[in-house]
Amino acid sequence: MGKHVITMLPGEGTGPEICEATRRVIDHSGVEIVWEYEEIGLDCLNEHGTLLPEKTIKSIAKNKIAIKGPTTTPVGTGHKSANVTLRKMFDLYANVRPAKLIPVLKRPWDKIDILTFRENTEDSYAAIEHMVSDEVAQCLKVITWPGSVRIAEFAFKWAKANGRKKIQCVHKANIMKMTDGLFLEAFREVAKKYPEIESGDIIVDNCSMQLVRNPGQFDCLVLPNLYGDILSDLCAGLVGGLGFAPGANIGENVSIFEAVHGSAPKYAGMKKVNPSAVLLSGVMMLRWIGENAAADKIEKGMNKVLAEAKTLTYDAGGTASTDEYADAIIRAMDTV
Amino acid sequence: MLTQATTGRAKRPSQPITLVGMDVYIITEDGIPQFDDYGAFKIEFVSNRGTKVWPGYVSDDLMLVNWYRCRFKATKAVTDAEVDVFLTALSKKWKWSAAQKLWNYGDEAGFSKAY
Repeated sequence: MGKHVITMLPGEGTGPEICEATRRVIDHSGVEIVWEYEEIGLDCLNEHGTLLPEKTIKSIAKNKIAIKGPTTTPVGTGHKSANVTLRKMFDLYANVRPAKLIPVLKRPWDKIDILTFRENTEDSYAAIEHMVSDEVAQCLKVITWPGSVRIAEFAFKWAKANGRKKIQCVHKANIMKMTDGLFLEAFREVAKKYPEIESGDIIVDNCSMQLVRNPGQFDCLVLPNLYGDILSDLCAGLVGGLGFAPGANIGENVSIFEAVHGSAPKYAGMKKVNPSAVLLSGVMMLRWIGENAAADKIEKGMNKVLAEAKTLTYDAGGTASTDEYADAIIRAMDTV
Repeated sequence: MLTQATTGRAKRPSQPITLVGMDVYIITEDGIPQFDDYGAFKIEFVSNRGTKVWPGYVSDDLMLVNWYRCRFKATKAVTDAEVDVFLTALSKKWKWSAAQKLWNYGDEAGFSKAY
């Protein structure tokens, strides 16, 4: 394949160091990528007065593909999330987060391979909030028919293309009969077109309990934004923590790949954070652009390093730095 | 061990409230609504599902539904009577599903911005 031009958004906190480790590993896979480095996030706000400079927007719009390090979002007050801004601006409606058990990481389960498809632009993330009296705050939960149909369609298409067998819609339609009811109705409508894939639904609180008790029973989950945000983190915790949790934000025209985790500012500059989540996001990105050989090579190299368990970052029980771990993967890629 | 409710009704310290604008939710099949000024109310932004679609950069895919939040900011101190006049004038041209007053509480805005 020819050269790809991809926007790299290192973000802030530990973002730049884990993105640099990721770039080195991806470059070693043999894929030809011209990286366009652009700024985003809180540091950018302090320096340029905006979370998302025009130059960054233009680069993403031009290249259509970006990989992003974490950014920081203050709780309660302050600026809006750079992540949510990007998702909304480019209408990245499908947030795909795989949670697959990494065999060498000891976990109490022997099988987890769950794909969450989170609707990424609606629900309470529409950010329509008002103080309607001095004692009452309200947030509109916006669920739309076209928004619900397209995430269900996306999930079924992805499942069919990747040999997945079962999709469940996660909801709370017993209580939120109109909003979650609409989401579920759209899912059921789409499911009729895919009789070869088993479909069903599960209430979100029961789903949470079942995920903790027996996660091996789940295959693909389709969720509105808020439940998707929460349960995909739960799934990440089941397979090894946020250090191994990648994600993709897919739209009609633009796709941005990013780790599930945040910027961990207290570790910034210490070069101790596990870059696997961003790296695995890079692997998802490579598969999305058709570079499967490069993706396989990176995954095999990483699995070898994890299996040997000699060069692991602290969260996986080792003492290796971010760079030492990336170097070990690069060496392993030459032997697999 | 706490055996019965003892806290009573919680009361949040109140702040002076100032009416500073209106969010009006408009239904139209004709794309992003365009507005003239309505007395002291001036359009600030239009959003679709919470994402700003006017003014500024708009992805081609953002106008997913026919329902727009239109934020009108007051250009001066306004009364409820002026809100009534504003909504009456708006109703002559637009179909709207809901209207929400925007209040400041002290110096703090009691409403979110669009993404």
